[in-house]
Amino acid sequence: MLTSLIAVIFSLITTVAAPLAASAETPLRVVTTTGMITDTVREIAGDRVSLTGLMGAGVDPHLFKATRSDIAHLSSADIVFYNGLLLEGKLIDALGRMKSAGKAVHPLGEQIERSALRELDGFPGQFDPHIWMDPQAWEKIVPVIAQALAATDPTGASSYHSTAIQYQEKLRELDRYALRVLSSVPPESRVLITAHDAFGYFGRRYGYTVRGIQGLSTESEAGVNDIERLVDEIVSRSIKAVFVESTVPSRSITALIEGAQARGHSVTIGGQLFSDAMGANGTYEGTYLGMIDHNVTTIARSLGGNAPADGMSGKLAGAH
Amino acid sequence: MDSTIYQFIALDLPPLLAALFSAIACAILGSYLVLRRQSLLGDAISHSVLPGIVVAFLVTGSRSTIPIFIGAAVAGICSAFLIEVVRKFGNVDESAAMGVIFSTFFALGILTMEQAAARNVDLDPDCLLHGQLETIFWYPPNDWATFFSWSTLGSVPAEVYASAIAAFLVIGFVVVLWKELLISSFDPALCHALGFRSDLIHHTLMVLLACAVVASFKTVGSILVIALLVCPAATARLCTDRLGVHLILSVVFACVACSTGYITAAFGPQWLGYEQSVNVAGMIAVMSGVLLGGAACFAPRYGIVARRRTGRR
Repeated sequence: MLTSLIAVIFSLITTVAAPLAASAETPLRVVTTTGMITDTVREIAGDRVSLTGLMGAGVDPHLFKATRSDIAHLSSADIVFYNGLLLEGKLIDALGRMKSAGKAVHPLGEQIERSALRELDGFPGQFDPHIWMDPQAWEKIVPVIAQALAATDPTGASSYHSTAIQYQEKLRELDRYALRVLSSVPPESRVLITAHDAFGYFGRRYGYTVRGIQGLSTESEAGVNDIERLVDEIVSRSIKAVFVESTVPSRSITALIEGAQARGHSVTIGGQLFSDAMGANGTYEGTYLGMIDHNVTTIARSLGGNAPADGMSGKLAGAH
Repeated sequence: MDSTIYQFIALDLPPLLAALFSAIACAILGSYLVLRRQSLLGDAISHSVLPGIVVAFLVTGSRSTIPIFIGAAVAGICSAFLIEVVRKFGNVDESAAMGVIFSTFFALGILTMEQAAARNVDLDPDCLLHGQLETIFWYPPNDWATFFSWSTLGSVPAEVYASAIAAFLVIGFVVVLWKELLISSFDPALCHALGFRSDLIHHTLMVLLACAVVASFKTVGSILVIALLVCPAATARLCTDRLGVHLILSVVFACVACSTGYITAAFGPQWLGYEQSVNVAGMIAVMSGVLLGGAACFAPRYGIVARRRTGRR
């Protein structure tokens, strides 16, 4: 009875495991976590590798839980890229275990220079993981990825390095566009109010004051005092717009708007920003460039700056 | 070694073992909780650990496992004692005492976190304390010749050992204190009259429960711990009136729920043509619920069918 049960289980597992089994002929298998990393690796590696991104559109990386199939992908990968700095909270132990078993596992945020990172106030040695919000900082992960790919697949090295340089140029262009349109917003209006603290790098790069209603953690709720303080700031600086995020509920943002209205100041929802995940697959907003373009354009236009409605390269769809 | 078998040993065996050991510990402790009408104590402890985690983080400034575990266990034990204190001196029943204590502890945790840490630090108990079955994989040697050696044994994930230790501690506790636990669970007054310290037995049970529950959090996650404490024990309660049989049945039910749940969650979606597996802990909890439903309908004496047949309601 027991042996036949085990036999049945094994045969069922075999049918599942067969496509995952390793073979020498297949291209380099690369597995990534967030959509931003997946897109960046795709830009650099192109069709040379078989790429699997674990987190889709709208997935909160802080809360992402791997399933058996995700773990199977990770364990059969030749290279794993992840954000690190505690972003993928529930995956850290698993990835650490893979690293200590000698697998090529790269926490990108921890492999770029420390000066590019934003240290958290009062907690030395702890860094803000939301690096992708600043294209200039994000650019630093590009050579790290190219280097890692070249080390595992030396025949493709020159191809990786040349596409990496091209992509870096695109990121610089995006950064220049962002600087231009964001500095067209009057200096006193350069305040970005969002649901949680994902925009620290953005604020540092473009000189914006960033206010998150919740803290870094999506676990904590906004207190009455916090809302009150933010309403004060909105009214006194006559801020035109606040923003909702794709991965966080908008309830506390609504409370802000009503609070400001009660004080006779009208503030609108400036639009939805992509914070911890990109837009839908296959759209322009579903790429890293499109995501940042969308955020930058939406912020600049809502806060009274000049930016083309269709963004940096005329590809934005939902512009208003 | 065949790659399918290797993949099974590397990815599936450790989570299955960890789940089974946790299931044994939880099912036995859960049996006593159900009999003592304290089923929700596991849930209460899972909420009460938050202030312990926050304080441990603030004191040590690190997220490493051991201080977080100690903080959580201390908070869990404190809450178990305070529930007893409130019940005794507040003159309210057990569930009300649990409600008071665990919501207070949880609120205290939120407040400390708000004031001290979460403004700047992502301090999520879900990441710090609650483990996940799927991530308990390992890299054993890839051929049978070197597989059976001491170094292989040393590379087994710590979670498997932790849950095994919890299971053996619980089994040892029950074997040694079998008679005392039996009397104090069913007739505390008699227990007292016979000269046993029923309160001491109770407190030991609570400490063991808090440690086992917190250890299982790190291994299998919070959903599964609460499900395994209550469901198999409640299922067994429908099937028997004898304590020994009750314990054995609840362990059997818990193990059946774990194995069927794991296989369904990990491989079921692929048989139906989906690419993504689903969460294992969730599926095991569902399976425990299914077993309970089955027992409620078809249990020999207390099932709906049996009651209809004998004309009892």
